[in-house]
Formats: sequence, C-alpha cells, structure tokens
Amino acid sequence: MPRKSKGSDVCQRREFLRVGTLAGLSLAEVMLLQKVCAAETRKSDDINCIFIFALGGMPQQDMWDLKPEGPAETRGDFSPISTNVPGIQISELLPQISKVVDKLAILRSLTHEDSDHGRGIHIMMSGRKAGVGDFNTGDHDNNQHPCIGSMVARLGKVGELPPYISLPNFLNSGGAAFLGPSYGPFVIAADPAAPEFKVRDISLPTSMTSERSVRRQLALREINRFSRRVEEVSRSARSLDAFYQKAYGLMTSQKAKEAFEVDRESEAMRQRYGMTSVGQCALLGRRLVEAGCRFVSIENGHWDTHRKNSWSLREVLCPSFDQGVSALIEDLSDRGMLEKTLVVVTTEFGRTPQINDLDGRDHWPGAFSVVMAGAGIQGGQVIGATDKQAATVTDRPITPQDLAATILSVLGIDHKTVLYTPVGRPVPLVGDGTPVNDLFT
Amino acid sequence: MNAQPAEVLRIFKLLIPFEFLTGIVALLMFQFGGAASAEESLSGILAGDVISIHIEPEAVHLGGKNRQQQLLVTAQLSDGSRVDLTHRCQMQMEDPSVARVVESRVAGVRDGETVVKVRVGTVVASVSVRVNGYDVYPPVHFRHDIIPLLTKLGCNGSTCHGKQAGQNGFKLSVFGFEPRADFVALTREANGRRVFPAAPERSLLILKATASLPHTGGRLIGQESPDIHLIAEWMRQGMSYDSDRAPSLVQLTVSPEEQIVGMGSDQQLLVMAEYSDGSFQDVTRDAAYTSNAEMIADVNAGGIVRAGQLAGEAAVTISYMGHVTAARIFIPRLPVPDPYPDLPVNNHIDELVWSKLRKMGLVPSQLCDDTVFLRRLYLDTIGTLPTTQQVRTFLSRTESDKRQQAIEQVLSRTEFADYWALKWSDILLVNRAVLGERGAYQFHQWIREQIVQNRGYDEWVRELIAASGNSGKYGPVNFYRALRTPEELTRSVSQAFLGLRLNCAQCHHHPYDKWSQQDFYGLAGFFNGIERKILRTDREFVYHRGYQQTKLPTTGEIVFAKPPDGAEVPNFTEPDPRLHLANWLTEAKNPWFARLVANRIWKNFLGRGLVEPEDDLRRTNPATNEPLLAYLEEQVRQSQFDLKQLMRLILNSRVYQLSSVPNETNADDEQNFSHYTPKRLGAEVLLDAICHVTGTPEDFPGTLRGTRAIQLWDNHFPSYFLETFGRSERTSPCECGKSDSPTVAQTLHLMNSPETEAKITDVNGRVARLLQQGSTEQQIVEELCLAALGRLPVAKEQDVADQLFAGAPVRQATEDFLWTLLNSYEFLLIH
Repeated sequence: MPRKSKGSDVCQRREFLRVGTLAGLSLAEVMLLQKVCAAETRKSDDINCIFIFALGGMPQQDMWDLKPEGPAETRGDFSPISTNVPGIQISELLPQISKVVDKLAILRSLTHEDSDHGRGIHIMMSGRKAGVGDFNTGDHDNNQHPCIGSMVARLGKVGELPPYISLPNFLNSGGAAFLGPSYGPFVIAADPAAPEFKVRDISLPTSMTSERSVRRQLALREINRFSRRVEEVSRSARSLDAFYQKAYGLMTSQKAKEAFEVDRESEAMRQRYGMTSVGQCALLGRRLVEAGCRFVSIENGHWDTHRKNSWSLREVLCPSFDQGVSALIEDLSDRGMLEKTLVVVTTEFGRTPQINDLDGRDHWPGAFSVVMAGAGIQGGQVIGATDKQAATVTDRPITPQDLAATILSVLGIDHKTVLYTPVGRPVPLVGDGTPVNDLFT
Repeated sequence: MNAQPAEVLRIFKLLIPFEFLTGIVALLMFQFGGAASAEESLSGILAGDVISIHIEPEAVHLGGKNRQQQLLVTAQLSDGSRVDLTHRCQMQMEDPSVARVVESRVAGVRDGETVVKVRVGTVVASVSVRVNGYDVYPPVHFRHDIIPLLTKLGCNGSTCHGKQAGQNGFKLSVFGFEPRADFVALTREANGRRVFPAAPERSLLILKATASLPHTGGRLIGQESPDIHLIAEWMRQGMSYDSDRAPSLVQLTVSPEEQIVGMGSDQQLLVMAEYSDGSFQDVTRDAAYTSNAEMIADVNAGGIVRAGQLAGEAAVTISYMGHVTAARIFIPRLPVPDPYPDLPVNNHIDELVWSKLRKMGLVPSQLCDDTVFLRRLYLDTIGTLPTTQQVRTFLSRTESDKRQQAIEQVLSRTEFADYWALKWSDILLVNRAVLGERGAYQFHQWIREQIVQNRGYDEWVRELIAASGNSGKYGPVNFYRALRTPEELTRSVSQAFLGLRLNCAQCHHHPYDKWSQQDFYGLAGFFNGIERKILRTDREFVYHRGYQQTKLPTTGEIVFAKPPDGAEVPNFTEPDPRLHLANWLTEAKNPWFARLVANRIWKNFLGRGLVEPEDDLRRTNPATNEPLLAYLEEQVRQSQFDLKQLMRLILNSRVYQLSSVPNETNADDEQNFSHYTPKRLGAEVLLDAICHVTGTPEDFPGTLRGTRAIQLWDNHFPSYFLETFGRSERTSPCECGKSDSPTVAQTLHLMNSPETEAKITDVNGRVARLLQQGSTEQQIVEELCLAALGRLPVAKEQDVADQLFAGAPVRQATEDFLWTLLNSYEFLLIH
C-alpha cells in the first residue's frame, strides 16, 4: 500500500484550530475538534470520491459474481462474459463495463447481517451497525452515526465547493448525525438528466441581473461591516459569516458555478454517459470532483427486485448503469483523473440465491459485491470469493466497516479517529474495520 | 488566518500535549532543588507573601507495603488568596529510615513513626507519618484493586476492550461495571494465558500492558510502575475476586473542591476514598480524571490540573470504582479591574451574576439600548418581531419603568402560547409521522392550552405522566404513543423532566454519574404494563394494566419499581403505578424537576444554560453559577411552578438586558453572562420574521391563510425553508433535534431563492404597499429598518440606501434594500 501514515503533530492540531476559528466555532467546539485524536493526514488529501449507491440491493449473482456451475434453481438467466482481463468474468448484462475491468477491483465477499433496507443502508453508508429504530424513511438525517461523506466534510481538506454533495436527492442515511447539519450533504434535489435541471438557489432568480446582484452583495457587505462590533463577540455571527463566504463563493466563482452546470458538457459527452439519471449524475459527479468537491454520493435505484428480477435488470436497471459507470471510468481515465479519484459502486446488500414465486430475488446480506476503482487501486482484480450459489463468503470476508475504513484511508483520514458526541461519548469513525489493503497490491 | 506571532505562540502552548507540559514542570522542579532558588522563583509566581502553609491530610498513615500518600500543600498568601505549592515546596522526612518522599508523596520504608516537614521559604509546617504492616503486601482483590486499575488505564473504555465486541478477542465490561464477567475473561478465557500466578511478569496481561508483546493499545505502564507490582501481587496471592471482609467504598472526596487557579498554574488534587470500616486511602493515582473544558484546564493521570491561558472555568470529574465526584477550577481573567466598578442591580439575579463576575475578574457590558431590548424581548419571549408601530411607541415613551411594562405586555400576548407550545412540542415529540394527524393535532392543542391557562408546570406534567384514554380525543396520552416501550419512556422521561441521562445506564453503569442498570430498570418498572389498544386508524386507547414485575435483561434479577434515588415501591396502592411516579416527579422536593425547568428557561433567554447541555444535570456537570441556579430553582418552587414568574424575573434582570457588545474584560467570556450572547433565529421564528418584514404570509397546506410557522401543530408541514433551517426532527426528547447551525444551503436560499425574491416583490407585500403610498426614500428606509431590525436607521444604513436609490428606480432600490436587510447578520440574529 503506497500511502504511509504520518503521525499526528502540533501543526496538524493547529490546523484543526484554524479551521475551527474560521468556522466561528465556540471554544467548546474547538475543544471538541482538538479532542479529535489526530486524524492522520496522509499525503492523499487531494483524492476525491464518487460514491454510487445502488439502492435496493444489487444482485451479486446476476452482475458481478456469476455462478454458471451453480444449481439451476438459483443460477438465474444470465451468462458470464469475458472481460478485458483474462480470467475475470462478469455478467452479460454489463457489456460496456466488461471493457474497463482492467481498471476495476471487484470485491465479491462483502457480508453483514442486516436484511432490512434502512439498516443495511445505514451500515453501508456509515460503517456502523444501526441500533434500535426505523431507518426506512430516507428523506431526512436518520443517522445514528455520521455517514462517510460527513466524516470527509468534517475531517478532510475542503475547497471552494461544498465538500460533500448528494444527488439527485438526499440519500438515506447520508446525514451527519452528531456532527451537526453543517457537515451534512449539500443536496442537489434535481435530476441532471431532466431538461429543466437546475441546482436550487445557486443561480440568481430569473428576474435578477448580475449587475443588480453585485449591487446587492456590495450593499450587504456594507451593512454587515457596520455591525462588526456585534460580530466580534458573536460566534453565531462569525459562523454565519463563514457560511456566507462559502455561499458567496459558490454564487460568484465561475468555476464553482459551472461545475454544477452539466449542460456545459458536449452533447457527445452527455450521450456517452447516457441521458439517464445515473449517467448524468455520474457525469455531474465527475464535474464536481474536478472542481474540488471531496465526496459525491449518487443514488441509483431501484434495485429491489422482489418481482421480475431478470426482466428488471435487463430492461430497466442494467443498461443505464452499465453505460453510466463504464463511461465514468473511461472518462476519468482519459482525463488523467482516475489516479486522484476513488470510485465506489456499492449497495445495501445482495439478493437471495433462491428465485421466488414472482420471479424475483429477496434481500441477502450474507454475501454481495462492491466495485471500486481509481486512487491507486490495482485494477483487474477480484477480491474474495463465495460458494456455488454466491450465498456464503468462502474467502476473504469484507465487512461494511472494512469498506468504510478503506474509503476513509484512501481519502487521507484515519478511520480510527475518535470523535466525541455532544454528551462526551467517544466514538471512533469506524469501530472495527480494517482497510482492505490487498486492493493496492 | 493571519495570526499575530503572540497568538500563534499562545495557540501552540495550548496544543502542546499535557504530558509534555508535566515533563516541563518536573524539570522546573528539579531546578528548584535549593531553597534559595525556590524562593526566588516563587516570588515571581506569588501575588503576595506566604503567611502560612496548610498540609493535607492532617496525618499520614500508611498500612501495608504498596501504600503511598499524596500530600497537598496549600499556601495562604498575604493578599488573601490560596495557592497550591505541592510541587514547589521542599519536603523533608525527619527519619528517612521510616518513610521517604517520592515526588510529593510519602512512601513507607519500614514500620515506625516520623514526621514530614514542608518548607516554603521561611514558613514551615509538618505532619506526622505512621507506617505499619510494611512487610505485608495488603490483600489484593480483583473487584477493589484490579478493576479500578483497568479503568484508569483505559483498558475497559468504550473504544478498547470495553466495546461491545471487545478487542482482539479480549472483552471487558465497559468501565468495569460487570466485574464478575471481567474476572472470568481475565482468569479463565484464552486458556488462562492472560494470567500466570507462577510468574506474573510473563502473563499476557503484563506483557501486553507493558507492550513487551505487540499491543494495539500501546504501552500503558512501565516495567517498574507500582501498577505492575499490584497486578503481579494479585496473581501471586492467588487471584482473589473479592473478600467478604474487604471493606466497601463509601465515598470519594476531593480536595480542593473549588479553587481559583492562575493562568498557566497547576493545582494538585488529592482524592481520598473512605471505606465502610472507617479507614481512608489515598486514591489520587488510582482515580480516573476528565476535564469538561481541556482548553481551560486539563488534568493528567496524577491528578494535577493545569490551567491554560484562557480565563474561564472547568469541572474535573473524578471517578473511582463507580463513585464520582468533581472539582471546580476557576481561572480569573487578569488583571482583575481595580477598583472594581460599583454595579447597579435590578434584582437578585444581578447580585448573583455580578458576584461571580467579580470573582472571575470580569466586568459586565453596558445596558443594551431600548430598541435592542424590545426586539430581544419579543423574539426570546414570543418568537415574534415587534411591529414598526410597537417600536415607535416604545421609543416615544419616557417612563422609567417602560421596560418593565413592555415585559408585562409581551408575557400576556397570545403569541406567547404559540411560541412556548412550539418549544414544548419539540421536547414532547409532537410528530404526525408517529402519532398520526389526529394524535399530533390533539397533543399540540393540549400543550398550547396548558400555556394559555398558565397552568402550573408541575400540574400539567403530572397529568401528562399519568394520562390514560383515547388518543384522538385526549391529547396527552399521545406521549405514550410517541414513546412505545418502557425503555424508551425511561430514557425520555428522565431526560425531558429530570435532566438525567439514564440512557447510558440501560446497558452499563453511567460513566460520569452514579446510575446503574438497577436505576434504569427501576424507573422502567413504572411504565411496564402500559397498553395501547388500536381503536381505528390513527387512534389508540392508552392505559396501564397494573404493576408488572421488571427484570434486568442481563441477569434476570427482579428490580422493584423505584424512582432514581427514591424509595423502592414493592406494593402499589394505586392501580396505575404511574400515579406514584407522577407525584414523585413533580413534588417540590424532587431535586431535579425544578432545576431542569429553571435551567431550560434560563437558556431560552440567555442563550446558554447554567448547566450545559441544559438537560444533563449531574454532580459532575456543575452549574457555572451554582448559587444562581439554586436561586432560580427556588423561585420556581415558590411560585408553584408558574414559569411566567420565572420569566418575568429573568427578563427584568439587568443581566438579561446587557448589551451583546463586549468590553475589554469580557470578550472571551462565554459562560458567565457578562454580556448577552447573540443567537440565530430558530427556523420557525425566522420564517415568520421574513413574512412579517416582507408583509407576505406563508401558505401551509391545510391551514388557514395567515397561519404562522410557530403556530403549526407539528413538524411535518412541507416546507423547504423549515427543513433547511433546521426545525426540530422531534425524534429525541430534547431541543437537540433542532438546529441553528448554519449551512451553505441556508445562505443560498436566503440570497438567491425564487421564494425569497417572490416575497420581496409580492404585489401585496410591504414594498408594494410603501410604493403605493408614495413613500419617500426616507420613509421607506425608516419603515424597513423598523420592521427588520426593530430600530430606526442610522447613518450607515442611510448611506447604503442612498447609493441604492441613486443608482436604480425606486422600486428596484427598495427591493434591493429590503433584500440587504433580510440577509444581514443583524436581522438573522437576536442580539
């Protein structure tokens, strides 16, 4: 593994204090920051992540881990095809992806124990098992533990863009939990594939000329400058100011604003990704990390194929997925961005070996696949293995905690970093995970 | 950040690990070897001359080989202050063949008696030392000796072996609260390799703790530490778990309990354990310490507190074998203003705050001006901006008691019930996603009615806790629908009404308090047996079917229903055990009930609780001004829980009416109320404020036009604004689900959204109205400033307006000026 961790030092901690002061945090909050047991910054704080979540549960045996030799009643309808890496086969559903497998690591041995969507999503998004509660209403922050994106927003280096952006909506368990909404995702609640796609509140209202807007901003600065005496005491004002600066940066930085404008891409490029939600989200995700966003999460659904599994995969889910994901990998590679971009394709669990009465497959967390690429990951490899039905992990089990630890470590964050909840309970980012170091060999 | 060099240096100092600092202290002490140089150095440190020195304990008695006694040496100075000189004095043993001084501790050498002399300059004091049983290592028991050691070293912490899955196959109970299981884990599991009585130093336990074998937790103790001797001795003695004859720990005391410490100075703590046989033992080096404010005062494993470079105060929690105590450290700002100004007083709150400020070397800010006061009063009390007319009227009045009159008016307005019903609905979880529309509506109506009637807080809580009936008709039973298990109810009731965080104790002993699983399930016993019968969609009939036996999930032990710290109730006379609980909860002598609500109300107005978080009341989390909280509590009781009385008292105090602009002494103060702390308007209040200023009501589906956000009966009305600005999620029984932390999305929404723009340009809005009336620029600017900021414009706003009006048509300039005000920090904050 090429990344070496560097021990914590005073400068590191000073950086926290600096960030704290800028954000206008209170003394108590800065102290909390201080307590953060030195997130050891690796020399990889320039790596960003595009995190594609196949919501509903992606069938491992029909996509990444085919078992042509398996029993007929569990095998399903799809045949394996060869890829551009000798010896690695994936599903015929993924012909485009089969041409970029040399850049992918296929992890076939993910495993956990939660067969409920909400709980499965929680553990895959945050690397922490959900406790008591209902996690299935995904429209707000139901996190019991910060999701990986929020950890990055809190501990990673941030640039002009919001560090954690979620599209095309708020992804279930994508919240910041006790870190607070300031570390939650900037949600682009719109589908970039839609013709009228627009990011809410980033651009001026249609009636507003930019000239007039500049006048308003200047007036606002004047007015706020006058109340400087209030600001000097008020951390509330200082913290508003920090977010005003960020928002203002977003509105006024041409580069930042353009990052959100997927229609600046050529028609050919947009067609290459596919004019589908997952395709255009992937393209927008690429634009956002290119402009400095640290973590883009993309929801792709709905993979919950309790009925007509094969038909849904063939007709609805896989074509756009295959095109979007393969285009993303190729495009990142063509632009020389793949070295600095981690791509993760994940899901909450796999699907049952048995095909049910409705031609569907049900929830199966015992064994499933996740795919990763970029950021130094050795492409063209398969990690882990399952039995004849892709039902049980037989080699190299990988837990959601391991996966979370891996993503964090690639992004330069020590997964053992301990954060403190508001009641002072110490909570490590990822409790029991170990980074999957074989990925880099 | 362009920090000044001095600032950088200060930051560095604060960030240097404490261990390192204590190293420096040790070095300094080494240099203090000679008496002359010690005096020389002391003269620079001490404000006055040493008049006398006081040594604790009064006499040293060491019984047994491994015992040592920490000394605490305090000097009384001529200026009246007291200073810790434990590590800056000379200690000399009269007969070194009996005992010796190790750092600042007395350790035995052989049985006998002697005297230790302590000298500071020319002042000398001494205490007697008696050593007996030196040849015998006292019996070492797992429960009494080894568990506290594992806790101190952090082995059983929740991030190491104490976590649910253990660490590398070795699992201990968190903080050692299941000693029996830990004993088994240590002595029997892993084929008994963890212990090795024949050669303790080759046991896994010692090899790992000293990192002689690879250990993820690193090296925790040195080869020669007394801790190693203790563990080895325990193995040698045959690894006893416990002994019937071993006395039990009765209480833990710390000295000093309260101390003023200068910036950058040290304070040694002395922690003594008192046992059931009347004996005392020094556990200073065995206890575990945590500071609640490390930047202000940090503490190391030896119980040495070090004050940082900031004025303020810290509470150090000391825990040992499930007992806790706390020491409070105050670091005054220097120099203390001399002479300290004579401060005017409106009521007793002021006296109590001033007295604390004086102690801390802080001078309060000026009284805020009338317009600031009025806006603050309206927003804090009724979540509503004053109208332009109300501001003008208030400004025009000249009576000396006009603030008092305004307070009375505001307390009697109808918005008062709207605003406080909203606040209580956040705490009591009024949420249609859980309760259904009917239930949420009824519950909110009931809460609001209690406020309208100004019913005693104790009365309505008593009714709520004992509520039975149809959830569609009787609001308060919905509390038992939002919380559906005895465990949930225990967590929520204890937090919402007592400020106790029993949730920790559901699974393990509370780490910073005395609560155990027995306490948790004792309280749960009152809720065991609550039934919820479905009547029809959205409605349930809630009742209690009588007392049910409750067992601990871990051991199956039966626990009787028992309020925290109250008496067990083995037999209920009432058919519904909740009646007993409701009475206990709300009776005047309950130590938490009045305290919590007093603290909540204080926080609502002053922005910060006297205890923070406001609903975490425990001995180890003391109030920043204990006499004040005690006084407020007492007022609540005396007024028979009429919370309006308490509000009246707070609002009339000078403390509440202080300016938010700091003076040179108090800019850094965040906990003593030396100036008002600005806070962002809450989501609902802010939305209403924008509607008010723009003159455009918000439309909430299913409500009458003109319904305000603070009037909504639950938190699920679709509203991007309220979502984005952090209305309460109402999933846990506190105000913590509500957030005023800023986000980029909020700022963008205010600046750029079509919604904001539509309000500004609304054909029936304030701008349109002003233009229709043919207002002049002057009138427009005045009206908008009064509406948004609650004050007349000053030259600065006038200048900005002049520029806007000079460069654009009047409508556009008016809109731009209003936009500017809506986005200004002054508008967004209560200040």
